[in-house]
Amino acid sequence: MRILLIGQPNSGKSTLFNAVVGYRSLTSNFGGTTVEYTRGRGRVGGEVVELVDLPGLYSLHPASPAEDCSRQLILAGDWEVLVNVVDASQLARSLELTLELKDLEAPLVVCLNMMDEASRKGMVIDVPALAETLGVPVVEAIAARGQGIVETFRAAIQLRGGWASPPTGAVLYAPEVEATVRELAQALGAGGRAADVSAFDVFPPRAGQVGRHCAEDHSGNAAAAPCVVTEPAVKVEHSASFPNLRFQALQLLQSDPQRTGQLSAATALAVERAQSEITRRLGQPTDVVLSSARHAACLNLFERVVRLTRPRGDWRDRVDGLLMHPFWGYVFLALIFLGFFRLVFDLGKLGEAHILGAFQLLISQAGQLLSPHPTTFAVAKGALLGTAGAFAIVLPYLLPFLIGLSVLEDVGYLARVGYLMDAVMHRVGLHGTATIPVLLGYGCSVPAVMATRIITARRDRFVAAFLAVLVPCSARMTVLMALVGFYLGAYWALAIYVLNLIVVARAGNVLARIWPEIAPGMLMEVPPYHRPTLRVVLLKTWWRLREFVVVALPLLVVGSAVLGLVEFLGWQALINAALAPLTTALGLPTAVGLTLIFGVLRKELSLLMLAQALGTTNIHSAMTSAQIITFTLFVTFYLPCLATLAALVREVGRKLTAAAATALLVLAVVLSLLARGLLRLVM
Amino acid sequence: MDEARKFDPPFTLYEADRRSALRIRRITGGWGVRRFFNQMGIHAGDEVRVLSRAPFGGPLVIESRKSRVAISKQLAERVRVEVIP
Repeated sequence: MRILLIGQPNSGKSTLFNAVVGYRSLTSNFGGTTVEYTRGRGRVGGEVVELVDLPGLYSLHPASPAEDCSRQLILAGDWEVLVNVVDASQLARSLELTLELKDLEAPLVVCLNMMDEASRKGMVIDVPALAETLGVPVVEAIAARGQGIVETFRAAIQLRGGWASPPTGAVLYAPEVEATVRELAQALGAGGRAADVSAFDVFPPRAGQVGRHCAEDHSGNAAAAPCVVTEPAVKVEHSASFPNLRFQALQLLQSDPQRTGQLSAATALAVERAQSEITRRLGQPTDVVLSSARHAACLNLFERVVRLTRPRGDWRDRVDGLLMHPFWGYVFLALIFLGFFRLVFDLGKLGEAHILGAFQLLISQAGQLLSPHPTTFAVAKGALLGTAGAFAIVLPYLLPFLIGLSVLEDVGYLARVGYLMDAVMHRVGLHGTATIPVLLGYGCSVPAVMATRIITARRDRFVAAFLAVLVPCSARMTVLMALVGFYLGAYWALAIYVLNLIVVARAGNVLARIWPEIAPGMLMEVPPYHRPTLRVVLLKTWWRLREFVVVALPLLVVGSAVLGLVEFLGWQALINAALAPLTTALGLPTAVGLTLIFGVLRKELSLLMLAQALGTTNIHSAMTSAQIITFTLFVTFYLPCLATLAALVREVGRKLTAAAATALLVLAVVLSLLARGLLRLVM
Repeated sequence: MDEARKFDPPFTLYEADRRSALRIRRITGGWGVRRFFNQMGIHAGDEVRVLSRAPFGGPLVIESRKSRVAISKQLAERVRVEVIP
């Protein structure tokens, strides 16, 4: 039996999903974590259920491709029961989606999640009254603590096969609206042209992309996706026509009057006529009329079932008073990120020094052991250097960074960063919402590029994706830390970070000039602070780390072994000779040419291969400080890794990806040349 | 002119004082803008409060029925409000 989890962003759908299916879905403390749907099976009281975790949506009128993915899945009707997860502390707003879903007349269970948050806000909710008024089962839950989850799905299982008696109490609009809705529904039905509501896609998928766009999970890696649909979809018959005609009519009435072009001429005409009829009678656009009616119904409901008492736990407000303060907010922002940077650096350095020493010992021992077999030793040394690179150079920095990022995200601080940075982002032609993808870019470019799906305008999505890629991901940060930080000191590493920020800002500026901002701006939820749970933080870290461990690590060991062999046979000279014009122009040893090729596979490979290519893990003995800086700058900017390129192609298309890649390459060469010139003067 | 003024409150949400109780009178803008507000459950007639504002033309945080939303300057300027006495 298939259950769809639906709710507004940050309402806790993924928490419910994870509790039943096991940890597959990312949860966090801001909306928009799930940008693609995730599927999985689990057991509830002996019953096997298939759950589908959808990206959060505020209403059935999507403002972003992530929301549109959810809407399409709901309307496809490939499910038996809807579970509407509602953040009880945001009840007034959340019920608007619930009322829209009720219009589907399909089996629906409301899971009233985050009851603890609601009572902290001083809200006392009369759940039986809510259930009675809505006419659907309502289950209280605190999913983060495991409460109410089983009860929710039990209620859903009971609704399998449809309603025993269909719920009553649908929102009734003003009589003249209802009359128009009825007429339109009749017209839709009578013409035998039950308008396919999904023909009204706000974000029409590019040809051939429908399936993929939705069917992979957010790791961005089809192989890692545990939930790609393999079995044929079961078409569940809800009724003769699903969604029902009244629902279709309502959806069409609320759609953008300028987008009727995608409908058949007759339907478009009927919709336009109905829209102008309502506007003429009520003096307001149809979408406002309908949405206001639902809003009013929600407020009535809210007044009826919620009693407000004094809120508890005021410390959060006080914390927000500081962290979102017009002055201190930025001071804390700088301090938090400086402290974060420093901690990652110190922990990483500690790990790197210790583990690297152990591997060097191992390599010298292997050398003695294998001295009669030079070919085997070349391969083994390569493989060992690769492994050393992964465990000694990448993981010591990557691990604390990812843990720290997960903590900041889970606590709810990243959303505050979005608020604080909105004004700054406008300077680069974006708004606060885009801060999240760009910040995620510091972790890994792939989820960052995918997170742009929460942004409304296509232009903004591209700009955000480009900037997210430009920001050094943790792999590039590793290169930066392990090369510049380790050999030249933390302040040089910080200087490159700052330079990167300036470049990001300039690039945004230039893009804003080429392609001006048109989006209406930011309207973003500010989630309450949560205490991060160790389990979620660790799992999230693992999710982000697994791509490195599963994909990069084997590639690294094999690549290093191959490189060892290539070097032993003297072939690297050919590749290096081909790249010599570039490397000599940048004043780098020609031996690094090969590492740049590997860097396109995975960014950290260029660092690891560097040790192999130069034949030493002490890079400073083979490269000058200026060369290390130039190399790092080039690697930081030149081209995103293959996985990122793939994600970019999917999100913004081939043409824009090619443009972005070219721009990055040119940028890297120019910056490295400039750095080389400047460093020659000062060093 | 005078007639229109009487119905249009004199200031926008962006210009409103912190902490004072406000009522939304009108939200101006096209379908795309209205969708944003509809989605977030912000409508004409709602009571809101500005909790904080970011400097340099940054966003505001407003509270409406216990929900907190950050709203950018551009959108806040489309919301006409009046002070609830």
